[in-house]
Amino acid sequence: MQPSGIFNVSYGQEMAIVRTRLQWGILIGALILLFTFPLFGSSYLVYLMNYLGITVILVLGLQIVTGYSGQVSFGQAAFMAVGAFSSAILSAKLGLPFLVVMPLAGLITGAVGLIAGAPSLRIKGFYLALATLAAHFLILWIITHLELTGRGGSLHVPPPTLGGLVFDTQQSMYYIIMVLMVAMTFFAKNLVRTRVGRAFIAIRDNDLAAEVMGINVFRYKLLAFFISCFYAGIAGSLLAYWYMVVTPEQFTLLHALWFIGMIIIGGLGSISGVFFGVLFIRLLDEVVLLVSPALGAALPFLGAAPAAALGLTAFGVALILFLIFEPRGLARRWEIFKASYRLHPFSY
Amino acid sequence: MKRKGPIKVLAMIFALLLFVAVPLMAACTPAEGNVARLLRLGDYTGPIAVLSIPADQGVEDYFRYVNDRGGVDGVRLIVVSIDTRYDVARGVSAFVAHQDDPMLLMVDPVSTPMTEALAPLIAARGLINYGTCDGKFQAELGRTFLWGVPYQDGFAAFIDWAVEDWQAKGNPGTPTIGYMNWDSAYGYEYMKGGQEYAALRGVTLLDPEYYPTTELDHSPYLMRLRDGGANYIFVGGVEPAGTNVIRKAYEMGLTDDIVFSADWWGISKAGASAHADELEGALIVSFFLRGAEAEQTFAGDLWVESGRGALEDMNEIYAMGVALSKNFEEGVRLALQEVGYEGLDGEALYDAFQQLTGMERFGIVGPVAYDEDDRRGSTVVKFYQVQNGEIVPITDWREAPDSVSLYYGD
Repeated sequence: MQPSGIFNVSYGQEMAIVRTRLQWGILIGALILLFTFPLFGSSYLVYLMNYLGITVILVLGLQIVTGYSGQVSFGQAAFMAVGAFSSAILSAKLGLPFLVVMPLAGLITGAVGLIAGAPSLRIKGFYLALATLAAHFLILWIITHLELTGRGGSLHVPPPTLGGLVFDTQQSMYYIIMVLMVAMTFFAKNLVRTRVGRAFIAIRDNDLAAEVMGINVFRYKLLAFFISCFYAGIAGSLLAYWYMVVTPEQFTLLHALWFIGMIIIGGLGSISGVFFGVLFIRLLDEVVLLVSPALGAALPFLGAAPAAALGLTAFGVALILFLIFEPRGLARRWEIFKASYRLHPFSY
Repeated sequence: MKRKGPIKVLAMIFALLLFVAVPLMAACTPAEGNVARLLRLGDYTGPIAVLSIPADQGVEDYFRYVNDRGGVDGVRLIVVSIDTRYDVARGVSAFVAHQDDPMLLMVDPVSTPMTEALAPLIAARGLINYGTCDGKFQAELGRTFLWGVPYQDGFAAFIDWAVEDWQAKGNPGTPTIGYMNWDSAYGYEYMKGGQEYAALRGVTLLDPEYYPTTELDHSPYLMRLRDGGANYIFVGGVEPAGTNVIRKAYEMGLTDDIVFSADWWGISKAGASAHADELEGALIVSFFLRGAEAEQTFAGDLWVESGRGALEDMNEIYAMGVALSKNFEEGVRLALQEVGYEGLDGEALYDAFQQLTGMERFGIVGPVAYDEDDRRGSTVVKFYQVQNGEIVPITDWREAPDSVSLYYGD
């Protein structure tokens, strides 16, 4: 919806993501704020932003395959593990540079995604979800048992270097993570507006109708898995470089469930929904992290353990409330809010 | 629409509690005065909650006990507990969020991968940390102090006991030993030195069997070990895993001919009592007291005094938590004597921990082994056996052989 008095006079304007001067101003301001943040943000906040950035990249991938293409995937944590372990092997064992490792990790994970997505030719919905669940366990089992991946132990990753610069601090990694997050958000936002994106949506809404319209359903389903896993691979690679250590325990089924929870709460089929979902869940988790010790101190009869386990309760309650009151997620609420202020003071 | 009203009200109350009321309550808590803080990153809702929760209760109660008596030379001990859900990322997040807490001196991440991920961050902050029992932290001398005996050393002690038992029964040569454990870094750690020690003792050690943490049917693994001719089988896994494996072995009729032993995270008092027939005769190798022995220590008194319930409900890991707290208390005391409260920091505690050598902890565990070249919590283990649903000691404290160096080198 356009603000009052704004009219499109060309096709380019019709297709533009950023349409008004105010929107350009907000975007430029937000980017300046984003890239100067380490200059004034505390180390905890910079850490948190890094964590959010990597999660956003990962969940963008999940949004493409699940939110836009309708292929439910419980394998995102395992795909992230593929990216992380690929990076660890390529960098620590083969000594390849960061700029080669990261895209390679994405491509390797994408290739694994093609295999994991192959069952989508024959099965969908609940059955495909179970197939991706199987892929999760299979991938983690392989990682846990190969000598190459440390046989259940950990692999250490050297910090990334670019032209003599070593990125071994929270602040320096921040810039790598944020540049990639912005670039991959831009790509995802545009992808879903292209012919490919429209094919994804058509398959999600009615795969039979899509096929009748001439869309090669299997090809596009596989493409969705590939792109999604490429995103997961990049996120995994960033995680490996950021922590400088990878272990199989970093990628559990619980993580996969949290990622699904993020797109449900944020809003399925929405790029902005990814940001809302990731922010909501991660910040809820962080609030719990800070509040639970305080709760334990304020209510000593409760003991530390129940207070500390507040996180899962909060996540469960939030998920239930969203499914009841706003199944279309926070992105939908944001759209309603935007429509409301753009029409203000007219309510129609 | 009308039906949604009460749910909306409940949602609002929940949000209010979470975001407003609790921080307000925290803000209303009295000023702390002189404190020393321990950050525990435990798993209260994941696969090792059975370990983390009782250990944490022990720490909480012991700190409360010390504080009620004026603290350590006037310094109150504070434990901050976070549920990490066995999630490395959450553990790191919790550490970064709390690393600037006033007078944070020590961190206790309860898992091998989390300890690995956090060790450099903790060291960079000048703090120290606990590691559970992974021998690698003894091999790579750093700021990580083990809770107890390294896993592989405990397994080596079991090999020694099995050889003695085998020969005492009049059998020639050495026995064939099987090993089962979780398919994880924890499960693999035993074999990093354990295999080398078995070879040193001339014992035939069958290929290790690793099972998933959530495995319900352990029969395939047990069948392979039976077919391999195992005389003794060592079963790892945090409770109830150990108990369940031996119950399955009983069901298969294996416990008649094969001696089973659990590691120190296996067969709790409650498990032994609930499955007395199936577990009869099973061993437990432990670096802390078990069963009635644990109840008769100071930890038993503390359990009752703290209103945790009947003494027979006390988990033995609670006692171990009390012993761990004693390290922190005495470390802080020693550091205060050296540098005073103004100088108290992670570095001072690091120096103090290395001077705790030989300290007793209510007899719950062996004497502290920490020194400049040692990160082991202790070096002795005890053997217990399940008899009529009770956990009964069958040996005194025995030295656990150093098998860490066999794998990692000196």
